[in-house]
Amino acid sequence: MFTPRLIAAIVVAYGIALFAPRVALAHAVLVSSQPGANSTVSGSEIAVLLKYNLRVDMEHSTLTLLVPDGRVEKVAIEGQPAPGLLSAKLTGLVKGAYVLRWQVLAMDGHITRGKIPFQVE
Amino acid sequence: MIWLLRDIELLSVLARAATLAFEALLLGGVAFLVVVVRPARASEAVGNFCRRGIRLAALAFVVGELAMISSSGAILMGGSDLTLKDVMNTSYFRADSFAILSAIGLWICARLKSNKATVVMLPLGLLLLAATVSNSHAAARIDHRVVLAILTAAHHLGTAAWVGAMAYLLISLGRVEDPYEARRLTQRYSRMALLSAPVLVLAGVGMARFYVGSWSRLYTTAYGIMLVAKIYLFLAMIALGVGNWFLVRRLASDPEPLLTRLRRVVEAEVCLGFFAVLTAASVTAQAPAVDVSAQDRLTSHEIFVRMHPEPPRMSSPPLAVLTPPSSLAVAVQNSQFGATVGSDDIDRAWSEYNHHWAGLIVVIAGLLALLSRHRTMRWARFWPLTFAGLAVFILLRADPENWPLGPRSFWQSFSAPDVLEHRFGALLIMVFAAFECAVQAGKLRAWGSTYVFPAMCALGAAMLLTHEHSAIDVKEALIAEMSHTPIALLGITAGCSRWLELRLPKSRMAPIASYLWPLCLALAGFVLLNYRELP
Repeated sequence: MFTPRLIAAIVVAYGIALFAPRVALAHAVLVSSQPGANSTVSGSEIAVLLKYNLRVDMEHSTLTLLVPDGRVEKVAIEGQPAPGLLSAKLTGLVKGAYVLRWQVLAMDGHITRGKIPFQVE
Repeated sequence: MIWLLRDIELLSVLARAATLAFEALLLGGVAFLVVVVRPARASEAVGNFCRRGIRLAALAFVVGELAMISSSGAILMGGSDLTLKDVMNTSYFRADSFAILSAIGLWICARLKSNKATVVMLPLGLLLLAATVSNSHAAARIDHRVVLAILTAAHHLGTAAWVGAMAYLLISLGRVEDPYEARRLTQRYSRMALLSAPVLVLAGVGMARFYVGSWSRLYTTAYGIMLVAKIYLFLAMIALGVGNWFLVRRLASDPEPLLTRLRRVVEAEVCLGFFAVLTAASVTAQAPAVDVSAQDRLTSHEIFVRMHPEPPRMSSPPLAVLTPPSSLAVAVQNSQFGATVGSDDIDRAWSEYNHHWAGLIVVIAGLLALLSRHRTMRWARFWPLTFAGLAVFILLRADPENWPLGPRSFWQSFSAPDVLEHRFGALLIMVFAAFECAVQAGKLRAWGSTYVFPAMCALGAAMLLTHEHSAIDVKEALIAEMSHTPIALLGITAGCSRWLELRLPKSRMAPIASYLWPLCLALAGFVLLNYRELP
């Protein structure tokens, strides 16, 4: 009755059940950010501080900036003051709408992405 | 490329879910071999079968881990300028590689069969456990990492020794010819389960203390809702387990028929157990409830406003007034860094209408199935026909921006994960309707055909438990989760009870099961009938 074929079928069935789709993009949570989402800042140079709920791997996390003319610039992560914090600096800002995009690798292997739109006046 | 990365992201989460299940099977196999098979002096056939199960689980685990490493690596490299060398330096890559090596070691030990090899399986299993725990939520927490790592390890171990090992008990009982040997195996397993189930529960409660934080977060966050679903499955398993415990005690008096009954109930219990593991995978894909900010949590008032009973919406807004769809290129570009599916009140009314008609069809199917129990109402056994209508309805109306109603072509429409799910769901329902109609009519008598219904219930429930709600508003997604999760649980209950009805046709359990699954079907329909997206 319980042949190897049946065992394989059970294993495959579990596999199928487990392979049902889900996209989880909300593992690491951005607790707070500087600049804040949809905020308005002034000046050509601002400090960026991103606080997450988890320990993040700075070396394998990336920040990019969508500037008003549509170009995407890479932003260097300067440091990690605490395990869940990332700091950077944005320079050469002009008046307009920006989007700071982040991709972080949490220490549990989850990759999370998000964006912080803000205005420079 | 972005769309491809989204698909790879999907694969990454799926692979994570698969490895969790195969880890339980692998470690459960080791526990069963060391704690049950050897001390019970089981026959060689049982030992060999157990080792073969361990080898299969080890291979499946390795494949899952490789898929996870590759997909996570592709996402990391695709979303940045990191190289393969950089990826190989990540902590998750090292931990996963370590887990793969441990699984290969277990595969080799299971092949060698010697006593020494069996003993070596224990430290190898613990190494694998350590590797998987180092890639869990616990490893990434800011505080209490050590306590959480210990609790996570205990939770995994409890799951493996109870749920994973149960699959091996089931297989072994099918191989045993001597009823006394079966009794010895069952008794030893029961003792192990009596220890591992409380370990699983206590560790789970401890983890909930850190990850959930308060009672209200159990119903106001996605993490909490999935956790409640997991608790429901656990309680259902306990209920069956208690029944089994009494069966085991009576085994000495009348072993043959009781053993068959035991095996059938264990089948349902194993199924529930692996649904609990699937739910656990969904839980780990969520941000812990304690980290969800107040603005992203539901309030009791919001839940009441959306969940209290109201008459269903039976008329639809016209297609022309729905939000016009963006081009696929724009939708793809926007979706890279978050959910983008916006909707206004008319779109929501459209969605409510869809859910309510679907609910009505399911209620009718459930009630017809109930009626068909009665001798004079045999015509009602063709209740699956209503599902064919449901499949066509989903195909036509679920995604109005896509073929056949919207401008996106048939093939383009498959690019979006949620549309793909709807299409796949419609296909499954159609296949199910055809099969079950033939089964009910007595035209299809092949062994497997009768099990299509419980299998479809299980697959449908799995899809619902893992369904993505791509709403911009976190709360909207949560409300959807709140109504979809009970339907998934009712689906699992319906599938398991239909399974028991088919597998135990002459027991006292069969009549109860035969009324339970149509009732679950009708209840799922009523939940759908009360689904609302508008306040």
